[in-house]
Amino acid sequence: MYFIKKTSYQQDIDHFKHNGQRFWYGLLLLTILLTPTTLSDFYLGELSFVFIYAIVGIGLMLLVGYTGLVSLGHAAFLAIGAYTHAVMLAAGLPFLASILIATSFTALVGGIVGIPALRMTGIYLAVATLAFAIIVEQIITHWESVTGGFRGMAVADAEIFGVSFVDATSYYYLCLVILIACILLALNLLRSPSGRAMIAIRDSEISAQSMGINLLRTKSIAFAISAGFTGVAGALFSHRIGYLAPDSFTLLTSIQLLLMVVVGGLGSLQGVIYGAIFIGMLPQAIAVMKDTLPAVIGQLPGLEPGIFGLVLVLFLIYEPLGIHGRWQKIRRYFEEFPLYRKATYKRQRSYLRTERVR
Amino acid sequence: MSVFQAKDLSVSFGGIHAVREVSFTVESGEVFSIIGPNGAGKTTIFNLISRLYDVDSGTLIYNDEDITRVSPHHIAELGIARTFQNTELFEQETLLKNLLIGRHIHSRTNIVSEFLFLPSVRKQELAFRQAVEDVIDLLDLQSYRDQHISNLPFGIRKMAEIARALCLQPKLLLLDEPSSGLNPEETEDLSFWIEDINEELGVTIIMVEHDMNLVSRSSNRVLAMADGKTLAIDKPAVIQNHADVRRAYLGD
Repeated sequence: MYFIKKTSYQQDIDHFKHNGQRFWYGLLLLTILLTPTTLSDFYLGELSFVFIYAIVGIGLMLLVGYTGLVSLGHAAFLAIGAYTHAVMLAAGLPFLASILIATSFTALVGGIVGIPALRMTGIYLAVATLAFAIIVEQIITHWESVTGGFRGMAVADAEIFGVSFVDATSYYYLCLVILIACILLALNLLRSPSGRAMIAIRDSEISAQSMGINLLRTKSIAFAISAGFTGVAGALFSHRIGYLAPDSFTLLTSIQLLLMVVVGGLGSLQGVIYGAIFIGMLPQAIAVMKDTLPAVIGQLPGLEPGIFGLVLVLFLIYEPLGIHGRWQKIRRYFEEFPLYRKATYKRQRSYLRTERVR
Repeated sequence: MSVFQAKDLSVSFGGIHAVREVSFTVESGEVFSIIGPNGAGKTTIFNLISRLYDVDSGTLIYNDEDITRVSPHHIAELGIARTFQNTELFEQETLLKNLLIGRHIHSRTNIVSEFLFLPSVRKQELAFRQAVEDVIDLLDLQSYRDQHISNLPFGIRKMAEIARALCLQPKLLLLDEPSSGLNPEETEDLSFWIEDINEELGVTIIMVEHDMNLVSRSSNRVLAMADGKTLAIDKPAVIQNHADVRRAYLGD
């Protein structure tokens, strides 16, 4: 075990706590940058999907993992981002302006959806956001003059200042740059007063309020930020699938997105990345398995949602802290090698909160 | 000069009259205690002051300003901080983060600059750290700085709550049973800290407390309550020998 010697307050504020982190994250970045030289276009495309999922995941994590508000409606924000972007592009706007408008508009809608969240938590909020998602799905289906309804609408090619981002490699880099930007923005938010206000609301609304945190404002902002990130991802998503139709943004998508942050590990941004890799890669893994497994199992209908569900249940029972939580335990085991106590992460029941003010 | 004034406060929940026409005035620089048997309405008065409950009738006046209808988060901005009887800390975060959240009302940065972490935000964070470190020093919490609240023993959590409230730099501090759950030694320390907070930082304190020893050592005046009603307001020594107060605690 080692301890970090702190000599200035800056060290607590900086993103990297010590040089070891700088080295490993640098190496990771280098690997990701060099990946396109070795992988085929198909896998680069899948990786772009992972990046896009990760951007949604950041937004959803800020809401679910850091503000403590559940949303089952994030497919709707993804759809709003995607359609707004596609419509703006069709209207002849350049890529950057269009993606900005898509983001701001999605954030605005998110902020409005967040207002009722003041009075709702847990399952009630989940149902309310679910209702919102269904409303948006209906609007997209029936507003044919703009969205093309069930026929769908084609998305114009991505092009920034004359540079085309159509092929897999360049699109991979575009998604990567935006993902890194989003991670940095989220990290900055979390080390600032507004991010801490969100965390405060997650852990105790009552004392957040008496610390001077405006619940309505903060919850609404959290929804707006979350929707904003999802909006950016939606815009990137639209290029990736090339043709938008309502069936890309269903309830199942929302559940998958929520699954991503839960499996990754609530309350950590690293968890988002693990979760994104997980839900981005699982369909591929299942496809490969289908070929190798005996036909009786491999050809079962509903195999994919079944496995998704099974994984979620297993995580909730055996590792509620998600992949990130598991990784931390493993790391701690090696750090403290002969002294590791199994009970370190044992959950304790607390009987202290008897007279909570509601 | 009076800092805080409650006039004829009443509140009832269904058929229970939790507080009935209670009036009191807290002078600047004072330590004012509220005592009474369980269910007397002491904590309810705190929840009325921090605006978690609405009063049915009566007025709350803070520095000549009517705060009876002010929104709850605005109370902190006015300089009124509080602690909770059973602690309401941000469990999943470190002590340091908890204290930094206590600085929230002093934040002057907007969300866009925070996203970009502009130099102004960094400067503010450093200033926050300085202020938080002063409180940590005052209450001797150095060794718990980076620990998660959920790992801390109850006595430290109680102090952490007081520390968090002090990070607001309040003018009026409401302590809800600060000594409950503390051992005699910790209670002893607490009485010194209350003195320090009151005298060195110049914070006026209203305290709900059961430990009569602590009450008589620390407070200037005491309000004794039973069944939501005022029994007496006087110096601790007088209250201890007050006939009505004795009856409320010990019966006839």
